[in-house]
Amino acid sequence: MDLSVYLNSMRDAAGLPFYPIVFQVLLVLTFSVHIVMVNLVLGSSFLAVYEVSRKSEFGTRLSKALGRVITVGLSIAIVLGVAPLLFVQVIYDSFWYTATSLSAFWALMFLVAITLAFYSSYGFYLGNKKSSPGEMKARWAYVAIFFLLLTALFIHMLSMEQLTPEKWKAWIISKEGFVSFSGGEFHSVNLGRLLHFIIPSFAVTGVYLMLYASYFSEREDYDSNYLDYVAKRGANLALWASVLTVASGFWWLGTIPKDFSFAQNPFLIIGAVLGIITTAYLGAAYLSPGKRAKNAAILMFLTIFFMSCAREGLRMHYMNKVGYSIYNYPLNVDWPSTILFFATFIMGLFVLCFPAAAAFKAGKAHKGQVVIINPTIVRNSLYLMIAWFVVVAGLGIVISLKNGTLF
Amino acid sequence: MYPFWEVPFFTSGLVIALVATFHILPCHLATGAFWFNVYVERKAFYEKRPELLEFLKKYSLLILIFCFVIGSLSGVGIWYAATVASPRGISALIHNYVWGWATEWVFFIIEIATIYVYYYTLGRIDEKSHLTLGWVYAWAAWISMIIITGILAFMLSSGKWVETGGFFDGFFNETYWPQLFTRTALMFGIAGAYAVIVASTLKNKEVRLELVRTASIWGIGGMVLGAIFTFWYLFKLPEHAKDLAFGGTLPYLKSMLYVAAICYGVVLLWFVIFGLIRPSLSRPVIGIIILFILFAGIGAGEGFREGARRPYIIDRYMYGNQIIAYNIPAKNIKAEVPKFQKEGFWPNLYFKPDNLDLSKTKDRLLAGSVIVHHQCGNCHALDRLGKIRPLSVLLENLAPESPGDIADFLDALGDYPYMPPFAGNDKDKEAAAEYLFSIVRR
Repeated sequence: MDLSVYLNSMRDAAGLPFYPIVFQVLLVLTFSVHIVMVNLVLGSSFLAVYEVSRKSEFGTRLSKALGRVITVGLSIAIVLGVAPLLFVQVIYDSFWYTATSLSAFWALMFLVAITLAFYSSYGFYLGNKKSSPGEMKARWAYVAIFFLLLTALFIHMLSMEQLTPEKWKAWIISKEGFVSFSGGEFHSVNLGRLLHFIIPSFAVTGVYLMLYASYFSEREDYDSNYLDYVAKRGANLALWASVLTVASGFWWLGTIPKDFSFAQNPFLIIGAVLGIITTAYLGAAYLSPGKRAKNAAILMFLTIFFMSCAREGLRMHYMNKVGYSIYNYPLNVDWPSTILFFATFIMGLFVLCFPAAAAFKAGKAHKGQVVIINPTIVRNSLYLMIAWFVVVAGLGIVISLKNGTLF
Repeated sequence: MYPFWEVPFFTSGLVIALVATFHILPCHLATGAFWFNVYVERKAFYEKRPELLEFLKKYSLLILIFCFVIGSLSGVGIWYAATVASPRGISALIHNYVWGWATEWVFFIIEIATIYVYYYTLGRIDEKSHLTLGWVYAWAAWISMIIITGILAFMLSSGKWVETGGFFDGFFNETYWPQLFTRTALMFGIAGAYAVIVASTLKNKEVRLELVRTASIWGIGGMVLGAIFTFWYLFKLPEHAKDLAFGGTLPYLKSMLYVAAICYGVVLLWFVIFGLIRPSLSRPVIGIIILFILFAGIGAGEGFREGARRPYIIDRYMYGNQIIAYNIPAKNIKAEVPKFQKEGFWPNLYFKPDNLDLSKTKDRLLAGSVIVHHQCGNCHALDRLGKIRPLSVLLENLAPESPGDIADFLDALGDYPYMPPFAGNDKDKEAAAEYLFSIVRR
């Protein structure tokens, strides 16, 4: 059987419930948000260790704050990662399932690694909550970094294996005709690409620190010298990491097949230009990092978003090469479930205003101060949830009665 | 077919079962816990009892550390385990229910946002808003259960979907409502158990006894209602599943129900004795032991659900070996068994050696190994020391004298109500039979 025939015949028999472009846009969008959070966690872990080693008062305070960022960020990163994981399986199922089955053992080891990273980061955060400068222990942070990097390596490998389908067969079938069912394949690591994911972690963390300093600058119980220290550390980190990210990007670019003409990809060009603008802005922001934090964050997110689009474009090049396109995936459009998702998504954004407002206001308040949240936002969030339940349960009862499945 | 992943001795199916069972504890806690939390917070708020806040802090932290680490990771773990163990099975679910899962993801985001804000803003935002945060979390978490239950129930009873292919026709199927009610009751049972454990660690004796007793009442309510709804669930099982479970075809399914009932009975007794009658005897260690018993009960219950849907992984759609069982005209889906019987299974495989000469015994054995792994390996251990439905032992019981005897047996596979038919032509069968004959334990 030809590879192209295999890839197209392994598409799910049910087809897609909506147009592939929609899943593709959602994939890129959710991936961008997910990867920002992953970068923040990874960069914060490294920086926390560095700040512990400085044994200074500010360093201790900052590493404690980063300890919380790592734990909270990791949970959020995992939940955000569910969406791209879902959408990639929808449109790239033949690639995703084949590569993951070939490396089944490592796919499961990813779960072990991320669990250990999680608990190690909690060990660092909770274990140092009451430590004073010089007392902080970084050993759990080291363990967390080790497992986070291992997780990154596993996921990188699983992604890369999807891009090399022409090699799959040779990995598991010996010359004597034996087929391996071990699921232990580990191939296709591309260091340039992996570094192009890891190095931006420091840039993202740097920008986060600038935002942190800017956000807490209104609180009188936050020492302005400390916030200045954090902001400068952030700007410095973001600037140099951005420069190195560009360098690793060129390394990665050099490993991409020339016939893809990937350097001419419009998303890559926009992403690269934005990257350069962001780097220049960070350089200019060094003198007043707190004030320029928001703009730096917007620029950085846009850069990451366009680079994610470029990454998707690159994937399409690899897949076109073997005769696969998502745009001719058979369709079985299902409007009711599509409406259910988009309506819920919009509703979810409204509901999220409540915890967002609560977190924002509470964080700005001085210690011991109790803030009041706008009762309309509070009430409406809850009403929206209940309304969702009433509508779907009502729909369910009607359908169940119509189909005779209720009693 | 996708590349096959073999787990020595135990089969890849057991990997999913273990991850899924383990996931149920934190996920049911995540869905049920906040109903109890807001109940306690309401008491603290309206009755002006700040001493109850210690419990809220501790209980919320447990949910954060346990549910949003182990719970979310094991949830993702089920996907990964299903991907490597049954890629076509999970693909079929995802392609029919992607918007369902995406909708559930929106609620996951709401959950994680509200739980963190809830935990970190206790005492920092006004009480009413904080209480409402708890309510929002409780609703979001339960709604995520409302959604996932539809997909899980679809695997056991696919409802009108086989006729219409409609999302909601499959979602609101015969076992949806009883499963939702049973799981909802059970979530209060699990939340009650965790609440008793957390309450047992409180320093204030009066509050400790009060909350242990209250949590036990919630737990008792959950377990009793769960038992009642279980009868509804069993009553609503597809006829085919009832035959397997109660008609004597697969007696182990009944045993699993008994194990689940005994485990839940022990948990119920614990609630009554250590929670309701003598809350002062309640200790975290005993509670943790009870969690293991609960885990065993859940494992048995889920094992029953998975066993009762045999030979399908998705009711009336896909067999356990990931081969499509029937035509679904509404979705242009064609059954694969007739195709493989006509064209052969071997020619339709991609991951196979290309240069085999099936007229040679050695090559037939190689081909047979690949065919058998795909068609049998999802449910049966294929190595000689296999522990889960080991084929070498099962075939030994048939005392085959030649590969021909096994080929005859393969011909009759579809007559067993819990087995998929052999999906291949005579050449496939011959190769498979020769390979199977070679692994029979003698």
